[in-house]
Amino acid sequence: MDLSLLTDPVFLAQNIVDGLSRGALYGVFAMGFTLIFGVLDIVNLAHAATFMWCAFVGWLVMAVGGLPLPIGLVAATLAGSLLGVGLEFLAFRPIRKEGADRLSSMISSIGASLIMVSIAEAVFGVSTRRFPSKVLDPRPFFIGGTGGLRISRAQILILVASTLLMIVLGWFIRKTRTGKAIRAVSASTKASLLLGINVNGVIVRTFVIAGGLAGMAGVLVALLTNYISPPMGSTVELRGLAVIILGGMGNMEGAILAGFLLGLVETFTIAYVPGGSDIKDAIAFLVLFFILLVKPEGLLGKKKADRA
Amino acid sequence: MKRIIVASLAAALAVSSAVALPATIKIGAAETLTGDNSSYGISIKKGLELALQEINGSKFLGSSKIDLIVMDEKADKQEGISVFNKLINDEKVSLIIGPTLSSTAFAADPVAQQAGVPVLGTSTTASGITDMGDFIFRDSLPQSAVIPGTINKVVAKYGVKKAALLYESTNEYSKSEAGVFKSALEQAGVQLVGSESYQKGDSDFRTQLQKLSQKRPDLYVFASLIGEAVPVLQQAREIGITQPIVGGNGFNNPAVIKNGGDAAEGLIIGASWSITNDDPKSVAFVKAYNAKYGNNPDQFAAQAYTGLWLVATAIKNAGSADRVAIKNALGAIRDIDTALGKFSFDDHRDPHHENAVVVVKNGAYVLFK
Repeated sequence: MDLSLLTDPVFLAQNIVDGLSRGALYGVFAMGFTLIFGVLDIVNLAHAATFMWCAFVGWLVMAVGGLPLPIGLVAATLAGSLLGVGLEFLAFRPIRKEGADRLSSMISSIGASLIMVSIAEAVFGVSTRRFPSKVLDPRPFFIGGTGGLRISRAQILILVASTLLMIVLGWFIRKTRTGKAIRAVSASTKASLLLGINVNGVIVRTFVIAGGLAGMAGVLVALLTNYISPPMGSTVELRGLAVIILGGMGNMEGAILAGFLLGLVETFTIAYVPGGSDIKDAIAFLVLFFILLVKPEGLLGKKKADRA
Repeated sequence: MKRIIVASLAAALAVSSAVALPATIKIGAAETLTGDNSSYGISIKKGLELALQEINGSKFLGSSKIDLIVMDEKADKQEGISVFNKLINDEKVSLIIGPTLSSTAFAADPVAQQAGVPVLGTSTTASGITDMGDFIFRDSLPQSAVIPGTINKVVAKYGVKKAALLYESTNEYSKSEAGVFKSALEQAGVQLVGSESYQKGDSDFRTQLQKLSQKRPDLYVFASLIGEAVPVLQQAREIGITQPIVGGNGFNNPAVIKNGGDAAEGLIIGASWSITNDDPKSVAFVKAYNAKYGNNPDQFAAQAYTGLWLVATAIKNAGSADRVAIKNALGAIRDIDTALGKFSFDDHRDPHHENAVVVVKNGAYVLFK
């Protein structure tokens, strides 16, 4: 431990801000991921590819088209919903009809992901794209003058967006008709069918929401890291997976909270442990392991029997 | 007696050189053409193809032509090995140019060494590349030939006392470059107050940079590949770093200026070649490159262009497309004029030529003085 760093309150506050925004990045990515998992019981490994495509849509609208950020966010969200529905109809429903098990659905999503990444490589090439500074001013605010606490517009945006999404989606899932139907299907497909719920309709709506979330996440993450390229999804995918397990499978609020936790653990490891950046993943996954040891269903997860 | 043997041998060589060159000589190139590091490979491919056009067009090898087979090794070790095997066993090439990254070279070059196929790296700058065997050459100056001089110039100009280092710990190239930076700083009497790393796939470097800036260094040194070079620079500026920044070889790429914008201003790089070089061969190369592609070449294009010319020269001097003959002729190259300047291979198959130190000013590289 580096003692001079430990006693610096500005550095500590800075690490909390940076850790939370790093975690918000994992959280917003994981929300749609975990929603699909909750409803279909499958890991949609094309989620990362959807996320990447939406970042490119945002880039096309804002960097090439010159349109402002709100329009870029809406366009990316719509594109994500469209891609999500496309995935449901092309990659999931046909094999679900044949009574495929979860493993085949997952393999199908890997295939879809490979195709989507390859098309992106063919269309956009492999060089990294970035947002021009007119989309969102990259200069941060300093609280307490230069050398004080730094926070950038992208960090504020992703922190506010992730917190809002957590509240709004939590309300949506619990209170609205569609949300209740999603929870019913998530608890039991068969029982929902018997109750007269249009299960396929609910699944399509789930993909609309999950895809839209991937779209929003694509733009927010690209703004924060200023990195848009076909492999960008794979770098957050593993952490996204960790976050949905930690948060409780299928639980969107849990995903955001787990994201914050993972981001804070990573940042604090880098900041306070000598050589920390080399072991941040090991430490983060060790923490994950111990939490799951104590609470196997995740932070906000419920046991399968009484989920939903 | 001895003299007669030597004389007849020389005569035999002279005769064979007149007839031995086949109509086409296959040369392989294994480069990174897709993925995050493909901007290097694409530059290299352009440099090679320009040289190919000139060599074949000018009948440099008489009626023989070079057939260049370019394959994508995807910056992946396994892929590198399999591309090398394909080039050696299926295509039966006389020599392989590449691979793009040192990390791939450490995996793939032993395959060629074992098979007795010469390799010419045109972008591999890690220490230890040519230690892999007597068939392994490179025309890219190793880090140890460029970095100490660069650091000395910067330290002298700014009176640097304390420096901080950031590098990628999951790549052999960046790790090796970081090591060379460390010893160069030490040699220059500069105290290294902080050293931080990140891993492949990371995109947020703020915490590492913030930790370094807490130590108040008056110089920052970054050893990154092109995929991370721009975000590292931008985030460094974002957290308020205004001190001089020296970038490793990965920063010597026009894409850093194009994508980095204001963040790239003031970036200092030690480079094996710079567009500011005024050697006639270099000027001619820049002109021909612009005519063919409509933009300026970078260091990687220049090294690749020179690389294929070196190979053609070796083939001409050997009078043979035989792998061992090319290897021997390549090793004998001394003091020839190239786009990289007056060029020699040393006894360890490493290149020897002058290098430049440049700084980004108003969106262009200019000589650092």
